[in-house]
Amino acid sequence: MSEPISISVAGVKKSFRAFQALHGVSAEFEAGRMHGIIGPEGSGKTTLLRIVLGLMRPDEGSISYREGGRDISFADLRPKISYMPQTQSLYPDLSVDEHLEFFRDLYGIAPPDYKRKREELLEVARLAEFVRRPAGQLSGGMYKKLGLICALLRSPRVMILDEPTTGVDPISRRELWTLLYRLLDEHILILATTAYMDEAERCSKVHLFEAGLLLASGEPRTLLQEQKARSFDELFLRRAALGGP
Amino acid sequence: MNKTLLGFIKKELIQALRDPRMKYILFAAPIVEMTLFGVAISNEVKNIRLAAFFGANDYLVRDIYEHAIGGGWFIPARASGETAQDPFELVRSGDADAVLVPPEGGFTRALGRGDAQLQILVNATNVTQAQSVESYMKAIVAQTLADDLGLTPRPPPIKFDVRVLFNPSLDTAIFMVPGVMTMLMVLTTLILANIGIVREKEMGTFEMLISAPVSKSEVIFGKTLPYVLIGMTNLPLLLAIAMLVFHVPLRGSILALIAATVAFVCTTVAMGTLISTYCQNQQQASMASFLFMFPAIMFSGLIFPIENMPAAVQWLSFIDPLAHYLSLLRNIMLKGGGLQASAWHIGVLLILAAVSAAASFRRFRTTLS
Repeated sequence: MSEPISISVAGVKKSFRAFQALHGVSAEFEAGRMHGIIGPEGSGKTTLLRIVLGLMRPDEGSISYREGGRDISFADLRPKISYMPQTQSLYPDLSVDEHLEFFRDLYGIAPPDYKRKREELLEVARLAEFVRRPAGQLSGGMYKKLGLICALLRSPRVMILDEPTTGVDPISRRELWTLLYRLLDEHILILATTAYMDEAERCSKVHLFEAGLLLASGEPRTLLQEQKARSFDELFLRRAALGGP
Repeated sequence: MNKTLLGFIKKELIQALRDPRMKYILFAAPIVEMTLFGVAISNEVKNIRLAAFFGANDYLVRDIYEHAIGGGWFIPARASGETAQDPFELVRSGDADAVLVPPEGGFTRALGRGDAQLQILVNATNVTQAQSVESYMKAIVAQTLADDLGLTPRPPPIKFDVRVLFNPSLDTAIFMVPGVMTMLMVLTTLILANIGIVREKEMGTFEMLISAPVSKSEVIFGKTLPYVLIGMTNLPLLLAIAMLVFHVPLRGSILALIAATVAFVCTTVAMGTLISTYCQNQQQASMASFLFMFPAIMFSGLIFPIENMPAAVQWLSFIDPLAHYLSLLRNIMLKGGGLQASAWHIGVLLILAAVSAAASFRRFRTTLS
C-alpha cells in the first residue's frame, strides 16, 4: 500500500513582468482530501498549480512534497501526479479512443490494466458510445470528461485539475464531480481550482484566493461561519462590493 | 523501441495522415511542384524577341536574322524587316529584346568595303539574357558568313578538345532537377517539424505533454522522428519523377543516395525543431521557416554557383544543409558517386544535425515560464 502524499507551499511569490500573480502564498494540502482552490478569475489559482507541478519556478518561497511523513523530491513524485490543464489540451483531430491509446503509451500502462481502466472510465464518463468521435466534435462537457479520464488512466496518487468544470453544463458538472468523488475513495490528494463558488461546498477543504493572496483555508462550513456568510457566492460578492482586499 | 516513443510516433503519423490537406501537402504537392518546376526552371535563355532592320539588297542581315530565328533561341519581334522604326524605341517599348542594326547603306555593301560593323542593341535589364544574346549572335553571324560567303575566320592557334561529361547534351533539367528535389525535401521536413511542435504549444496540448512523466528526449524524438519518416517517403516519389519524366540518370549507388537523404532529412528536421523553440504560434513558425529557407536556397548553389560568391560569405554555404545535399545529389545521380565519394558531405550534414539537435535540446523547455 502506497503512503499518502501531501504538499505544502511556503511563502511562494511569482510575478510576470509587472504583474504579480502570487504575493507570498503559504498553504497545506493534506493527503486524502479534495482541496478546492476557489477564487475569481486572475486570482493566481492556475499559477499556483503550475508551480506545484514544476511547470514554473517560483520567484521566492518553496514547495515540499511528503510521502507518509517523509520528504520526497519532485522528481520522485512526478510519476505519481496527473494533471488536467485548464486550456484545451486535447487533439481535436484524434478520436476518444486514439486519445486513450496515446496516453496509455505516454504513461506506459500495461495492456491488461489499460483494458480494465478504459472500460471503467468510459462507462463512468458515459463516453463509451463516442469512442470513435474526434475530440474536436465533442460537446464542452464530453471534452472535459475526456480530458479527465485521460488524466485518470494512470491511477495517480495526486490529481491536479485546473478548472475542470468551466464551460460545462450543470449536468455534466455534476458528472465530473462524481468522477472525482470516486477517486477520493482511493485516498489520493486532489487539488482542483474553480471559479464556480457553489462547487466549493463539494470540497473537503477550501482555499480562498483573491488577487494573489490566500485569504483563508478550512472546511467549507467552518469557513462560512467564520466569515458570517451563507454561501461562497455571497462571500465573494460582499468582498467585491467592499472593493477587494 | 521505447513504448512511449512508439505511441508518440503513432499519434503524430495519425494526425499527419488524417487531414486531407496535409496529405496533399505531403504527397501531391511535391509531385505537382516537382513536375512544374522541372519544366519551368531553366538556366537556358530562350524565346528572345529579335528585330532586325535590313534593306531589300541587304541579304546578309536577312540571312543572319533568319538563321537566328531558325536556331530556336530567338523569336521574331513584332516589328521587323523594312519598316523604318527607331531601333532604340523598339527596345525601350519592350517590343524587342535585341535589335540588329546594320550600318548606313546596308551590311552587305559595308562588308564589301571591308569595314563591316553590325550593331546589336540588347536590353540588359535581364543580364543573363543579354549575355546569352551576345554569345548566340557571335556564333550565328560566323556561321552565316561561312555559309554565304565561304568566309571562315582564321583558326586560333590553340584548339580546345572539349568533352562535356555527365550531361553531354547540356540538358538543364538534369542540372536543375536535383535542385528542385532538394527544395521540396526541405520544404516538407523543415516546415512540418517546426509547425508540428509549435502547434502543440499553441493549442495548449504542450502543457499536458510536459506535465506527463515523460523525458525531454522522449518528447523531442517523439515529435521529430515521424517527420524524418515522412520526409523519407518523399524520396521515392521525387526520384521516380526525376527519372521517368525528366530522364535524370541515377548513376551512383542507391545506398549512398538513401544515406545522403537520411542525413539531410535529419538535419532539416533538427533545424526545424531548433527554429520551433523560438516560436510561440504557427504564424511565427511559418515566417521563421521562410526566413531560413530563402538564404538556404540562395547559398545552396542551386541558382548561383557557390564558387562565384566572395570568400567572406562562402562559409554560409558550408553550414547550409541544402548546399551539401545538392552536391550529394548531383554527385550521386549524375557522376555516379558512391558512399565513399559522398562521405564528406554526409559527414558535414551529420555534424550540422548533431549541432542543431544539441541546441534544440538545450533550448527545449519543459517549463512554461
